[in-house]
Amino acid sequence: MAVVTPAAPAATEEDKELLISGSEAVAEALTLADLDVVTAYPIRPYDTVMQAIAKKISGGQLVAEYIVAEGEHSQFEIVKHASTVGARVFCGSSGVGWMYAMECLVVTPPLRVPMVALVGNRALDDPGAFGVEHNDALVVRDLGWLLCWIDTSQEALDTTLIAYRVAEDRRVFLPLAISADGAFLTHSQALTMVPPKSKVDRFLPRYDRGDLQLHPDNPITVAPQANEDWVIEIRRQNNEAMARAVGVIEEAYADFRRVFGRGPENPWFEEYMTDDAEVILVGMGTISLPIKVAIREMRAKGKKVGLVRLRWFRPFPTEKLVAALSKASAVGIIDRDYSFGSPFGSGVVANEIRAALYNSDRRPPLLSFICGLGGREVTLEDVYKATDLCYAAAKAGKSDPKTHWLGVRE
Amino acid sequence: MAALICEVVYRGIFQKNLAARITRGIVLSARKSGRWGIAFGRYGDSPQRNGIPAKDFAIVADTKEELEQNMARYEPKHVDVTIAVDDTLSKGVESWAWYGLQPINRLTVPNGTLLMTSLQSFDSLLQDIHKKDAPYKLALLRAKASFSGLWVYREDHTEVRILGALAKIAPSFLSLDGVCQAIREIEWGSDLKVESAKKAHERLESREVKLTEGNAEIPYSFEMPKWWEMREGVTIPAIPVGKPKEAGKGYVPERNPYFKKFTTRTMRPVIDFDTCVKCTLCWIQCPDSCFDVMPDGTYDANMEACCGCGVCEAVCPVEKCITMVNESVFDDNASQWEMWRSDKERYKAWMNEKIGDKNATVRSHGFRFRGQYEQELEKNLDGGGVEITAGIPGENAQHKTV
Amino acid sequence: MAETTTFSNATQILEPFRGVKRVTIEEYFTSGHRTCQGCESALVMKLMVKAAGPRTIVLGSTGCMYVANTTYYTTPWVVPWMHTQLGSSGSAALGTAAGLKALMRKGKMKTEPINVIAFCGDGGGADMGLGAISATLTHKEYNSLILLYDNESYANTDIQLSGMTPYGANTTFSPPGKAKRLIHTRWKKNMAGLMAAGHPECRYVATVCASYAVEMMNKVRRALTIGGPTFIHSLDPCPKGWDYDPMLSHELGELAIETGIFPLYEVEDGHVKYYGKTKAIVEGRPRKPVREYLLKQGRFAHFIEEDLAYFQAKVDEMWEKWEIPAVVPFRRLDATKEALSAK
Repeated sequence: MAVVTPAAPAATEEDKELLISGSEAVAEALTLADLDVVTAYPIRPYDTVMQAIAKKISGGQLVAEYIVAEGEHSQFEIVKHASTVGARVFCGSSGVGWMYAMECLVVTPPLRVPMVALVGNRALDDPGAFGVEHNDALVVRDLGWLLCWIDTSQEALDTTLIAYRVAEDRRVFLPLAISADGAFLTHSQALTMVPPKSKVDRFLPRYDRGDLQLHPDNPITVAPQANEDWVIEIRRQNNEAMARAVGVIEEAYADFRRVFGRGPENPWFEEYMTDDAEVILVGMGTISLPIKVAIREMRAKGKKVGLVRLRWFRPFPTEKLVAALSKASAVGIIDRDYSFGSPFGSGVVANEIRAALYNSDRRPPLLSFICGLGGREVTLEDVYKATDLCYAAAKAGKSDPKTHWLGVRE
Repeated sequence: MAALICEVVYRGIFQKNLAARITRGIVLSARKSGRWGIAFGRYGDSPQRNGIPAKDFAIVADTKEELEQNMARYEPKHVDVTIAVDDTLSKGVESWAWYGLQPINRLTVPNGTLLMTSLQSFDSLLQDIHKKDAPYKLALLRAKASFSGLWVYREDHTEVRILGALAKIAPSFLSLDGVCQAIREIEWGSDLKVESAKKAHERLESREVKLTEGNAEIPYSFEMPKWWEMREGVTIPAIPVGKPKEAGKGYVPERNPYFKKFTTRTMRPVIDFDTCVKCTLCWIQCPDSCFDVMPDGTYDANMEACCGCGVCEAVCPVEKCITMVNESVFDDNASQWEMWRSDKERYKAWMNEKIGDKNATVRSHGFRFRGQYEQELEKNLDGGGVEITAGIPGENAQHKTV
Repeated sequence: MAETTTFSNATQILEPFRGVKRVTIEEYFTSGHRTCQGCESALVMKLMVKAAGPRTIVLGSTGCMYVANTTYYTTPWVVPWMHTQLGSSGSAALGTAAGLKALMRKGKMKTEPINVIAFCGDGGGADMGLGAISATLTHKEYNSLILLYDNESYANTDIQLSGMTPYGANTTFSPPGKAKRLIHTRWKKNMAGLMAAGHPECRYVATVCASYAVEMMNKVRRALTIGGPTFIHSLDPCPKGWDYDPMLSHELGELAIETGIFPLYEVEDGHVKYYGKTKAIVEGRPRKPVREYLLKQGRFAHFIEEDLAYFQAKVDEMWEKWEIPAVVPFRRLDATKEALSAK
């Protein structure tokens, strides 16, 4: 139920500013959230967060069961079961590691296990590659996982706290994956405000599993085998929980701003210079950096370009996104993923937005771009090219259905 | 009718291969007269469990379109012929996948036929078979239930005798010639089996069942909750812990109210409480926790929970203390211990009568040793492969030798 | 934050049942399950929780004891029970134990020793789940018992062969045929020996058979009392897959022991202790011929003398050639020297 929190911070509790990486920021958040059980298994880039947690454990700042598993499958199963007895849990992986855990990712939503996982986005094998691609995290998009993308160390810390608040809300009880692009997670440290525990305690209640807790004092049978008489009802329940998550997320961000005095007004996506934009580019994660720089360059030359950076992919902010995009004269979606054989061979985000716009009265020309796969740098030139194609479409007044691959040697 | 829909209700595993042969045989026989057909098992019954009722279906039709019409659903909602290859199924069935008990004739259409293998009289069967709101025919083949296991098949001709009987019940779809021709060609067929089919065709006994006839009991049914009534997280309440039987003595476990296993039972244990030495073996070795502990320290098999495996008889150290008796000779699931407590003499008489019936105490629940089925069937096959009485007189306990 | 731990690795002290009359009267696994007539594995479930008592959490990996045993709304479980994935019995035990420990040591849950038992079939345990079980047996700070109920096939899915299916047995994946009488010619894994030999800090490994109910329950009680991760391997006759009259489940369990095919022993802190009829065999009582066991099962009905002889020879080897008879397949050192000098 809605958590009522007392208003603004007292003067005594100051945030402290640290120069830390995205992984370290997540570890700070987990310490503040008083995590109970965490499981680690190596795969880069996500595992830098586990290295940071291990330091917190050995340093005594975090008291939790810290288990190094023998594979991702066990890594996720262990926290799944720890969560069912009432423990706050954390886990994570990257690329094929996330795939190796797939069976366990599938079972957590119907079991209503509010685990929080960090996905350090990584290209899928083969070939073995460390660079960023969003396909790994995106495989859970249909399964009942809450799914969001972060962009900065500060967002990593804040989103981790918000993640527990949302996932562990009795109205939701769904697993939540925070996606982060490899590079910034591991290789960049940014100045990050770390709040005091007192503030976090006011924002984040204890995880209470209630009548779903597996304990001798609450004798239940969990996940008995079910035939066609039951399964569709169980799916229907999951769908309802995902729908309820929308309100819970907005509530959590509003509360976050009250308690910590920062955080976005719009939880769902960041809008950069979109107010007067003729062309709006859309992307997820750190791709926003080169786009923002390019936008400033282009605006200096008089081109009114803006950016929408999606934070939440599940639940998908359909109405809000349609409202934000339909005012532009052309929209360009830059996917850092692929969906081979999909409509127009577009990426996943482009096809979802196309579907979202289908019923809206005003449908600006929509262009689809695939760029930066396998960690390939997204250059300013890529962004300029995309923008020019968008202007051309805006002029023609119709979309070019073809998907453009940017930055490929041709 | 332009299509013939048959269901075979049978004992899981024990009759899995038998049922498959029957439904296959129906389709292949009808094919001889140019019909189209399909044979399939009820998906929800798979994976099957020993003894737990299961269903196979066979549909034959004049045209492919008529066949599709009858296939366009999870399973047939009504059948022209219900075939039950074990007469203890006449008490109704609770399959592996259902909630609640279903009468054996539930899907049989008005004026359809319920075909059973049985040595019982029509009247004694109709004490068990539930009443129906329309008349139908009851047809009987004189034979005991044919049980074998997964790997070794009991070649007692039951499958061909059913086909021969069907040629009499639905001649427009299965002509006797078609059946005989199909049996000759099929991998498990033989000339001797053709003879068996013909004899069964001659000897089938049949009679009308009137609206007034049958067991009047209303079977337990289960109300499915709505999606929002179900607890989230695929979670259901556990079973509460049990209580003493009475006055703080004995023990009766709580039992799941939604699945009672007794329709799995083909034999039930009859207990001589006077000779019981209270060794606890039946209670502790029962896989279904069906024994209630009585205040006097004896053990009463709960007839709603007992599935008739017979382990209790096998482990009981006292001669004749626990005896497995054919389910068909019982009328209810009442407590034997209560009967014994209220009138020991009457109980002894009742018990001796049940155990005394050798046909009822002969056991045949699948493989016991290599060569067993051949030994059993030799003498029977000499007579042309009919009137086979399955079972091994005295094989499982000396004192039961006929 | 300083660690304020009020939690120790305390376990419930479960004294052995001294005689069948002393066995707990309550049932914690009751009717409602849909297993086969005479299902020995269902009996193992019942005895397992009878031995463990009410303050127990049970995790069940996919298999017969999940699908047949616990269907929606028709649970037989009195104690809390949860499904886990086919290969996850090890992870389920570890995760549940870790969750309880974390909450107790941090004062978020009343501190008490709660038994954690995860069970798996031979497919889930000896095939798919082997890695996770092995990992769990190295986590000595978490108390849990992993019980492998071995009915020697994937019995739930239709009797397909597993790494624990005996040599030559008929399964839907190894049907005897004209060209090939035996498709399955692998010898069964030695799970208990493997677990004991491979995990020096696992304090207790035992083999059990439900035909000896009291001893079986006492091994469970010992495993839960001694603490840390423990492992029990139970051989469960399966009337469906082995093809025999369900009435004979108990007898076939006894025969498996008396023929020496399945030895009964426990390994506590590295010390091997035979018990029951196996102890008698070790002390010189002759083993029954394996044919007395094999030919009572339809799955071996296709065996010819040659197959029976091979099976007997392999079992003889277990008893006559192994350094620790029927436990570890290493040869005695002197035998090894002979073999080398012979070369």
